[in-house]
Amino acid sequence: MKLFAQTQLLEDVQGKGLCVGCGACVDLCPYFTTYRGKTAMLFPCDRETGRCFAYCPKAEVDYDAVYQFRTGRPFQGTPIGPHIEVFKARAGEKQTECSFQCGGTVTALISCALDNKIINGAVLTGSDERMPKPMLVRTADQAQQCAGSKYSASPTLAVMNKEAKRGVRKMGIVATPCQATAIAQMKMNPTDKEDFEDPVSLVIGLFCTWALDARKLEALLEEKGIQGTIIKADVPPPPAEVFVVETDQGVTEIPLSEVRKIIPEGCSICPDMTSELADISVGQVEGETGYNTLIVRTEKGAELVKMARSQGYLVTENLDGDKVHNLAQASGNKKKRALAQAQEKGLLNTPDDAGRAAMRMSQDALNKIQP
Amino acid sequence: MSQLYEGKKGEKCLFMGNQAIARGALEAGVSVAAGYPGTPSSEIIENLAEVSKETNLYVEWSTNEKIAAEVAAAASFAGLRSMCVMKQNGVNVASDFLLHLVLSGTRGGMVLVPCDDPGALSSINEGEARHFAKLLEIPLLEPGDFQEAKDMMKWAFELSEEIRNLVMFRSVTRLSHASGSVELGEIPQTDPKAQFNYNGFILDPMEGPIVSAPVAYKHGLQQDKLKKAQELFEVSPFNTYVGPENPEILLITSSGATLYSREAIQLCNAKDKVGLLKLGTTFPLPAKLIEKHLKTTDKILVVEEVLPFMEENLKVLAQELAPRVGQKTFFGKRSGNIPITGELNPDLVATALAGILGQTYAPQNPEYTTKATQQAFFNAPTRDLTFCPGCPHRASFWSIHNVLAEDNREGFVCGDIGCYSMAFLPSGFSTLKTLHAMGSGTGVASGFGKLGQFGLNQPVVSVCGDSTFFHSGMPALVNAIHHKSDITMVILDNSGTGMTGFQSHPGLAVDAQGNEAPALDIPTICRAFGATVEICDPFYPFKTQQIFHRLLEMPGVKVLIMRQICALSPEKKRKKAFEMSVDKEICLGENCGCNKLCTRVFRCPGLRWDDETKVATIDEVICAGCGMCAAICPSGAITRKEAA
Amino acid sequence: MGTATLLKDPYNLIITGVGGQGNVLASRVLGNLLADKGFSITIGETFGASQRGGSVMSHMRISAEASWSPQIPQGKADMIVALEPVEALRVLHTYGHPGIKIISNTRSIYPVGVISGDQKYPSMDELKKTIEELSEKTWFIDATSAAMELGHPIFGNIMMVGALAKTGVLPIDRDSFEKVILRTMGKEKTPVNLKAFDMGAEMIN
Ligand SMILES: Cc1cc2nc3c(=O)[nH]c(=O)nc-3n(C[C@H](O)[C@H](O)[C@H](O)COP(=O)(O)OP(=O)(O)OC[C@H]3O[C@@H](n4cnc5c(N)ncnc54)[C@H](O)[C@@H]3O)c2cc1C
Ligand SMILES: Cc1ncc(C[n+]2csc(CCOP(=O)(O)OP(=O)(O)O)c2C)c(N)n1
Ligand code: SF4
Ligand code: SF4
Ligand code: SF4
Ligand code: SF4
Repeated sequence: MKLFAQTQLLEDVQGKGLCVGCGACVDLCPYFTTYRGKTAMLFPCDRETGRCFAYCPKAEVDYDAVYQFRTGRPFQGTPIGPHIEVFKARAGEKQTECSFQCGGTVTALISCALDNKIINGAVLTGSDERMPKPMLVRTADQAQQCAGSKYSASPTLAVMNKEAKRGVRKMGIVATPCQATAIAQMKMNPTDKEDFEDPVSLVIGLFCTWALDARKLEALLEEKGIQGTIIKADVPPPPAEVFVVETDQGVTEIPLSEVRKIIPEGCSICPDMTSELADISVGQVEGETGYNTLIVRTEKGAELVKMARSQGYLVTENLDGDKVHNLAQASGNKKKRALAQAQEKGLLNTPDDAGRAAMRMSQDALNKIQP
Repeated sequence: MSQLYEGKKGEKCLFMGNQAIARGALEAGVSVAAGYPGTPSSEIIENLAEVSKETNLYVEWSTNEKIAAEVAAAASFAGLRSMCVMKQNGVNVASDFLLHLVLSGTRGGMVLVPCDDPGALSSINEGEARHFAKLLEIPLLEPGDFQEAKDMMKWAFELSEEIRNLVMFRSVTRLSHASGSVELGEIPQTDPKAQFNYNGFILDPMEGPIVSAPVAYKHGLQQDKLKKAQELFEVSPFNTYVGPENPEILLITSSGATLYSREAIQLCNAKDKVGLLKLGTTFPLPAKLIEKHLKTTDKILVVEEVLPFMEENLKVLAQELAPRVGQKTFFGKRSGNIPITGELNPDLVATALAGILGQTYAPQNPEYTTKATQQAFFNAPTRDLTFCPGCPHRASFWSIHNVLAEDNREGFVCGDIGCYSMAFLPSGFSTLKTLHAMGSGTGVASGFGKLGQFGLNQPVVSVCGDSTFFHSGMPALVNAIHHKSDITMVILDNSGTGMTGFQSHPGLAVDAQGNEAPALDIPTICRAFGATVEICDPFYPFKTQQIFHRLLEMPGVKVLIMRQICALSPEKKRKKAFEMSVDKEICLGENCGCNKLCTRVFRCPGLRWDDETKVATIDEVICAGCGMCAAICPSGAITRKEAA
Repeated sequence: MGTATLLKDPYNLIITGVGGQGNVLASRVLGNLLADKGFSITIGETFGASQRGGSVMSHMRISAEASWSPQIPQGKADMIVALEPVEALRVLHTYGHPGIKIISNTRSIYPVGVISGDQKYPSMDELKKTIEELSEKTWFIDATSAAMELGHPIFGNIMMVGALAKTGVLPIDRDSFEKVILRTMGKEKTPVNLKAFDMGAEMIN
């Protein structure tokens, strides 16, 4: 992994509009903070290497190295990444009913992990009015407060960094794919920090095609005259082509064409739809509300799912073969699109004399994705 | 201790120029002195205020210079001798009133004392009050040394009463803030009574109402007064000549430049070639006196600081006199011999003089100079201005800077005048993006805040000191509120006029003379105006930033008062609130996670970076013990312990 | 008046330091003391925004008869009293010459540019060497540490006055010093200032 620091991060990520506001660089030191969904640099830092650059999922990500570290093999470019099993799942009877996004699988798994002390706390994303609000929760009750997808990009990792600095260990995190990538890089201790201790012991990844710019989404909702407290936002599967916002005063549909305008640039080069570097990944099930697609990727993930099932937190079923097929197709398409974009912008495997890359991966994997 | 008042006639004292001026006013029997603080003028009012306990004298720090002039004028109208004191650009503030005052005329002697600051040693402009003398058509007196500073002051009052109009007595930094020997005169023990007469005929200057109309008549009258002053100037003892009867060069000078010129003639060994005509009365010029001296030579060197005020007036006069005195060659600013900006010194004058005389002036041995220059370059790091250790402004700008950066909408701060002006420098995190005159920050912000209709959507912030708030910040705030401008005004309330030496202002419970005074409450005023008002202590950055963020999100005019006493205030001086220390084990130093936040970025002079151990340390000689650095250290390495 | 004579007329003294070190007070005390002895004194001061970390410099012209300009011409200082060592070097640059004498405090006050790491402060050895090379005679004393023993670093200024007295370059004696302090600062503050004066004198040998 190529190491740089703040100066290069500002140039490569903020400067090129690629920052998605994931929070990976925030709260590691006094120089990056996040406010109302945006990452801000407070003061210049003249270090030559630093964690801000090393953790950022949009700056010099060495896919082979990270995949090797997390999965034992270099990046293969398969549509949904390395995994053990795929299920259809939903929360079981042990999990209190609340406003889940889909089947409540994520909340159920987190609750199970907390109740069984597999993790000491979980970094989840609630909301503060119309802004995503990441926080560390300690109990299953608190986890329920964070249920439901906030479609804005959230600086969730800022809380991870802050709590890690305060000495919290064995954290669980629910992360989008870019965040899962950042966490994987963090786990590698890329800057060889002497007193490094991995503070995260469970990563539950979400499926994600794109997130929205938090401030722009707030403005769009305002522009659309959407009032009241948001209960739920959703993007129903095609061919709906709408973004549905439900508030305590009613339901509004906004055409996706308008919503796409407020997708951060950074998402367009993101090759991961299913959080391939997580322990477990969770998304929707095509055409079925109340259920989730569940991908188990690591041994740790498999154990948690087993435990959750046996303790009644989770119910799993087989996922239809054509649904798996469609998922792989969608996921593969995202990879293709993103890498083409990145290539066009000179951000993929950039030769040294042409500057720094956003991502690096083997030609083999690339050939598989873009035959 | 006050020699200023108790010093007896004939006694010689080492007085600062401003003390000499104050003593001169006392010897003139001044009754009322009003001013607004401003370097280098402030010690005049301060010294008089101190003396006011011993004699019947009224002294005030007025809310601004215009009001100082008005307060002094009232005393003159009531038959008392009065003066108003300000720094150079203070006259700009007072000028509208003055323009009318000089038409209406005065009664008791009234003297306007501006102290100019050539070289802007403690200003952010190099403006000059001299030009106002011409603009206002009033006599201008300029002392050339400390003795004259006292003596001419007394004479200024007499002149004012002679012509029944305002007289300008102008000093400069190098006189006001320098000290020299002064032989004292008598302070009269009189008991003047104030009475304002207005029942006389409208045009009666001593008994009628005092107005500037009818303008044509009064203006004519005013010019007659000026002519009378000019006649008196012809025989003034403050215009002196030293030198040969027919000098090769006639050096004409005035004010602080007199001292440099005298020394320059010596440095050039040119006593028998150069004549020194020193003018104490520089506007209007004493034409006959000048004519006499112009006749003695063909080469004239005019030595004065900043703009060629005297030079140009002299040239006009010389042209009028040309048929009788012949055509002269002038050297000065327009010829490039004397710099047109910055202050002078003996070396600059000597260089000019030597040039005209065809000599060279080499003050230092070149070998030594080269060595000293090299050493100074490599080993004498520059001392840039910075906020004092423990200054609340550093803390305030820390929060203002960080909130605006976090807010991330390209918000900016319109600056104003006070210690906090330094926030345009790195020590204030380069936070200020505009900086002009007192009160202008909020005025400019009020304008920015109306540009939304043209697409400006950056948050607009202004800062304003507490003294500045009363001086001229209030009308700007009123303007913003009335016009529904979207701005956040941050009032940096450090309980005093910090920059100029902690003078009182209307927000404090004490006045210039040390008497108890009603303190006007800034938050109450702002609320009454209709602003949303919050108060915080900048030494609690987290809370401060929370409040500031919230206000920044709100539309309309919001006022955030950051309140914490100045580190130099008499109340705080030399007392540490906390004993500070840095835990070397915890300090992250240059490592990723801090990278010297406290020294590299926060830059309080109380901190030091130890390059050997690679940790920060506290410089206990300098640290004021405010505790702020402990609040920003990311690792908790800096700790504070309540001081005993 | 008096019998004291000057080594040179005018004798040009520069007291230099950093805002907050009590530079101006030291020059006032010295000025008053020498004026009491009948000398004509002019003091020029640069202290505009001095408290805010800037350099402060007082130029003192001491003469038996004439009054001189408040700014000493280039290369014409006879003695420098520096409350901070880098300031001595800065003054030497403009006002120094091979025959100049210097008393300098050895305690550094870092300029903000040094604190921030943008500039370098020389080592004391380097600084001493440089100053010695540029002058005829130098005395280096740790006035600040001594002043801390007295209870506050501010007494460093009076220690420098005491040290200056001991060098004998100017007619400064303890009694006249005491008289001026008594008159300008009052009874209460006189003993500690006398102590500082003595401690300063002791450091010169
Ligand atoms: C921005 C975004 C885009 C998505 N896009 C897709 C998609 O294209 N296809 C698809 O199949 N699924 C997508 N999902 C996932 C889907 O919406 C559900 O989150 C997922 O199916 C889990 O459902 P659940 O009922 O188990 O969640 P719940 O049990 O309701 O739990 C939701 C969890 O998500 C976390 N969360 C909410 N918002 C965010 C956020 N902005 N960032 C990080 N964590 C957050 C909360 O902390 C909570 O723990 C997306 C989710 C997000 C946040
Ligand atoms: C018209 C005018 N008058 C006076 C001054 C001199 N002056 C400069 S700063 C200042 C003090 C302002 O005090 P405050 O606003 O309380 O700020 P502080 O210095 O205490 O931070 C003054 C009076 C000036 N610059 N302009
Ligand atoms: S993408 Fe994330 S880690 Fe990278 S700069 Fe933006 S907020 Fe920071
Ligand atoms: S290099 Fe380290 S200290 Fe510097 S900005 Fe990045 S994370 Fe912060
Ligand atoms: S801010 Fe704290 S951790 Fe950083 S250098 Fe200063 S004392 Fe050390
Ligand atoms: S406590 Fe810290 S911030 Fe305050 S004066 Fe001392 S070093 Fe400076």
